[in-house]
Amino acid sequence: MRNNRSWLKPATAAAGALALGMSMAACSNSGESAASNRPENEVHVLVYGDAANDVERAMVDKFNETSDVKVVLDTIPGADYQQKLQTVIDTDSAPDIFFNWGGGSITDYVDAGLLMPLDDFIEEDPRLKDAFLPSVFDTAVVDGQAYGIPMRGTQPVMLFSNEEVLASAGVDGAPETWDELLDAVEKLKAAGVTPIALGGADEWPTLMWVEYVYDRVAGPELFESALAGDTEVWDSEESREALGMLRELVDSGAFGTNFQSVKFTDGGSASLLSSGQAGFELMGSWAYSTHQDAAPEFVESGALGYSEFPTIDGGKGDPANLVGNTNNFYSVLANTRYPDTVRDFLKLMYSDDFVQEQVAIGNLPTTTNTEQFLDASADPDYARFQYGLVEQAPAFQLSWDQAYPPSATPAIHGAMSDFFSGRIDEDGFIAAMQGL
Amino acid sequence: MTALLPPKPPALPDGSERVRPAAAGRSARSTRPGLAWTLPATVFFLLFAVIPLIAVVVLSFMSWRGIGEPKFVGMENWQELAGDPVMLKSLWLSLLFIVLGVATQTPVSMLLGVWAAGPQRNRAVLSAIYFVPLLLSSAAISVLWRALLDPNFGVPSQFRWLFGDGNLFGHQATAIGVIIFVSMWQFTPFHTLIYQGAARAIPQVLYQAAEIDGAGRARTFFSITLPQLRNSIITSVILMVVGGLTTFETVLILTNGGPGTDTTITAFYMFEQAFRRFDFGIGAAVALVLVIVATTISLIMVKVSGYDKMRSTLEGV
Amino acid sequence: MRTRPNYIAGAAAVVWLLIVALPLYVMIAASVQTRSDFSAGGPLSFPTSFTLENYAGVFQSGFGLYFLNTLIVTGGVVGIVLLVVPPLAYAIVRNQSRTTTLIFRFFLLGLAIPVQAVIVPMFYLINTVGLYDTLLGIILPTAAFALPICTLILSGTMRDITPELYEAMAVDGAGTWRTFLRLVLPLSKPGISTIAVFAALQGWNGFLLPLILTQSESTRVITLGLFNFQTQYGINVPGILAAVMLSMIPVLLVYLFARRALVQGLMGAGGK
Repeated sequence: MRNNRSWLKPATAAAGALALGMSMAACSNSGESAASNRPENEVHVLVYGDAANDVERAMVDKFNETSDVKVVLDTIPGADYQQKLQTVIDTDSAPDIFFNWGGGSITDYVDAGLLMPLDDFIEEDPRLKDAFLPSVFDTAVVDGQAYGIPMRGTQPVMLFSNEEVLASAGVDGAPETWDELLDAVEKLKAAGVTPIALGGADEWPTLMWVEYVYDRVAGPELFESALAGDTEVWDSEESREALGMLRELVDSGAFGTNFQSVKFTDGGSASLLSSGQAGFELMGSWAYSTHQDAAPEFVESGALGYSEFPTIDGGKGDPANLVGNTNNFYSVLANTRYPDTVRDFLKLMYSDDFVQEQVAIGNLPTTTNTEQFLDASADPDYARFQYGLVEQAPAFQLSWDQAYPPSATPAIHGAMSDFFSGRIDEDGFIAAMQGL
Repeated sequence: MTALLPPKPPALPDGSERVRPAAAGRSARSTRPGLAWTLPATVFFLLFAVIPLIAVVVLSFMSWRGIGEPKFVGMENWQELAGDPVMLKSLWLSLLFIVLGVATQTPVSMLLGVWAAGPQRNRAVLSAIYFVPLLLSSAAISVLWRALLDPNFGVPSQFRWLFGDGNLFGHQATAIGVIIFVSMWQFTPFHTLIYQGAARAIPQVLYQAAEIDGAGRARTFFSITLPQLRNSIITSVILMVVGGLTTFETVLILTNGGPGTDTTITAFYMFEQAFRRFDFGIGAAVALVLVIVATTISLIMVKVSGYDKMRSTLEGV
Repeated sequence: MRTRPNYIAGAAAVVWLLIVALPLYVMIAASVQTRSDFSAGGPLSFPTSFTLENYAGVFQSGFGLYFLNTLIVTGGVVGIVLLVVPPLAYAIVRNQSRTTTLIFRFFLLGLAIPVQAVIVPMFYLINTVGLYDTLLGIILPTAAFALPICTLILSGTMRDITPELYEAMAVDGAGTWRTFLRLVLPLSKPGISTIAVFAALQGWNGFLLPLILTQSESTRVITLGLFNFQTQYGINVPGILAAVMLSMIPVLLVYLFARRALVQGLMGAGGK
C-alpha cells in the first residue's frame, strides 16, 4: 500500500532520534552529580508548602544575616511534595536539605546512598540528638544511623468530638472503651446525626481507624513484623479480629452512608462536626487549627472536645499508644557543597526562638525544652494535652502510608477504602496488605 | 467574513488527492511557499514533543524509580501491563468517557450553537456568559464542582428526592456521571462557538427554499442544518476525543480514580504509576499505550473523514 | 430573515444558562464570605456577610509576582506560537506536496500526545539544557504542545482564502513573502487571534509543566499559587475561589475585547 511507504520516513527519523533520546537518558543519570555542579554560596531547603512556611522564612532570613552561604527556602505546594522530591532528588537540581516524614519516606534514598548520615554532626553537637524526645528522633534512624533532625512538630491522631451534639444525644462524654463507642454510635444515630464524620473520599482518614484498632488489638508489633517482611501476620487471628471489629463499626452505620463522597481536604468532614451534624471525627492534631480557621466560634464556645482513642478489652496494645505523624524531619543530601552551613542551620531546630514560634502557630515541636513554652500556645490546654500524649506514649506508630515507601501508598489507601466501602472483605484486605 | 465568500462548486472527485487540481492554476505556482516555511514549527515540535516521546519509548523498556541508573529490563514492563486488569479496565473506561463525552456535548453544543447563531440581541449576552467556563482552568473547575457536590453541604443536600444520600462519588455510575457532566460544563462553550460560527455561515437561501417547500423545523434541521455542519462536527468530535483521552485534573480532583479503580482512566493510571508508585518504566509504558490508542483513533477519524485531504473546508458541502 | 422562535433550543439555552451560572454565582458568593461563614452555610447559602479579606489574603501571599510570572509565560507562549504557526499553516495550505501533507498529519497526530505522557523525559531534557526552574523552561514545552491545535485551527482559516486571490497576487508579481504578508496574514486575522487566545489560555492555565519544571518562589505561576492554598490540613475554599476569580479577570478582559475576533476565528476552526 502506498501509505505504508509514506510512514517509512518518519520511522527512520524516529530511529535516529531514538539514539539521541537514549544518550540523553544516559547522561542525565550516569555521573554522580558532583558537588561543584551545585549553586555557589547557596544552600537550598525544600519544604512542604503550608502555613508553617512563614515561620521558616523568618528563621531563614535571620540565619542569612550572619551566614556567608545563604539559605534559600523552596516551598512545594503540599499535595505534590512527594512527586517533586522524587523527581529532583537524584539530579543537580536536588536540594541540600529537604523536609520528610522519616521512616519509609527516606529509606529508598538511604539505600541509594543519596543521604548523609548525621552521626558526625551529632558527635560535634550532641544536642542535635539529645534535645529531642527519643521516640520521635528514632523515626528517622535507618540501619542504626541517624538521617533526620526533627523539625516542625508532632501530629498524633486523636478523637475529636462535638460536645453539644454528644450531650443532646445523651452521650456522656468521650467514650473510654470500644463498647462505649459503639453505644455512643447507637445513641447518635437515634438522635438523627451522623455518628462519626469520615472523609472517605480522601482515603487516608480511613487508614487512621484501621491503624488504631490494629494497635489496640494486636499491639504495635503486628505492623512492625509486617513492615519487616513477615506478611503472614496479616492473616493472624488478631488481624482478623481487628478487621471484624472495623466491619461491625462500618456496618452499624457509624460513618453514615455517604462517607465515600465526603472529603476532609475540602472542609467537608470538619464542617459536619463543627455544624453539629456529626458527633465524632478521628483526625490528626492539625484538625484543631482547621476548626480554628474554618469555625472559630465552634472552638471558642468550648464545644470542640478531644480525647484519646478508646481502649479495647483484651487487646494487647497499650491504651496509651499513639498513631499518626510522629514528626517532620530535615534530611541532608550526601553531596551538599556546604556541610558546615547545613549543620549550623539544623542546630536552629532545637533553639528556643524556633520552638517558641512553632508553638505560637499551633505546631508542637518535640524538643525537651518544648514544655516550658506551652503556655505561650494559642490554646495551652490543648498543647499540654497533646504534649502529654506524646511524652507518655510507650509506642508512637508512624502512619502506615509513611512507614512504607511512598510507592506503596496507593495500594494501602486503596485497601482501606475498599474495605470500608465493602468492595473487598477481610480476605481481600489481607491479600492486599500481603501484596505490598 | 467567510460568509461573504461565494458557495463553492461541488467536491473534487476523491482519489485525485495527491495530484493538484489543474484549477489551482499554474500561474500561482511562484507564490507557493517552500518547505523551509514549515521548518521552525517542525523543528521546535520535534525538539520539545517528539524527542521526549521517543525517550518515553526507551523508558518503557527500563526499570527506573527516579533514583540511580535506569536498567534495561526488556519486555518486563509490557508483560506486567498485559496481565494487569486495571490497565485493561482503564482503556475501557477511557473509551466510555469518549463515547459519553461526545454523546452529551455534541447535541447540547449543536443546539446551543445553532440557537446562538440567531439574530436576537439577548443571545449575544447569553453567549458571553456561556463562554466563561472556558476561561477557568480544569483544576479550578474541578475544585469548584467538588465543593458544590459535597453530599452534606452542596447541591445534593438541597435535593434529597433526587440525590438520596448524595453518595455520588461512592458508586461507579454516578462517579462517571459527575466527571462527564463537569467535562460537559467545561467544554460545551468551546464547541458551541464552533457550531455557532458554522451555523451563521449557512447560506440563508437554503432555508428560504426549505420554507417554500413547506418543510417543518425538524426536517429543515435534519436536511439542511445538519449536513451543512458536517465539517464542524468532524472538527468538534476530533477535539472531544482527544480531550476525553487526556482528561486528567478533572479525575484527579473529583474522584481520584475512585471509587476503587472505577474511574481510573488510562491518563490517570499513567500518572498513578509514574508519580504515585514512582515506577517510571511502567508509567512510560502506560503513556505509550495512551499515545498509541489516541493516534489510532485520530488516524481512523482522519481517514474516514478525509480531513487531511480537504483542499478547502468548503469542499464536501 | 424571519423565523418562528425555536422553542426547543430556547429552552435548552435557558436550562444551560442556569447550569453555567450556578457555579459562577457560588464562586463569587463564596469569595466574599469569611471562611467560617462559608463552612457554616455551605456553598449554596446566600452570603450573610461581605468581606474582601480573601482577596487581600490572595495578594498578601505573593500573587503580584505570580501574576507577573504568568504574564511573562503567557506572552512567551503566544509569541512563539505566532512566530512559527502562520508560516507552517501557510505552507500546509499552499504547498500541498506530499511532504507538507505528511507534516500536517504529523501535527494532527501530535494532538494525540498528552503532555502528561512525556513529562518525565521533559524534566530531564529541561534539566539537561539548564532551563530547570526558569520561566523559559515552562514557555518552550507549553508552546510546543500548543502547536498541533493552533496549526489545525489556522490552516482551517487559511483554506478559505480562494485560489483566485492568490492568482491575483501572482499576476501583480508578488512573491511568496509578499503574498504571505499582504494577503494571507490580513485575511487570516480571525484565525490568528483565535490561536493567540488559545496559546494564551495554555500559558495562563498551565499546571503540570510549571509544577514539574519549577520549584522556587521567584518562578511560581498563578496556577501553582492556587494550589498553595491547598495543604494537607484542609483547603481554604473561599480563599482559593477568590484566587480563581482574580486569575480569571485578565483573561476575561482579553476575551471581552477580543470576543468578536475569537468567535470569527472559531468559525475557521469549525471549517466554515
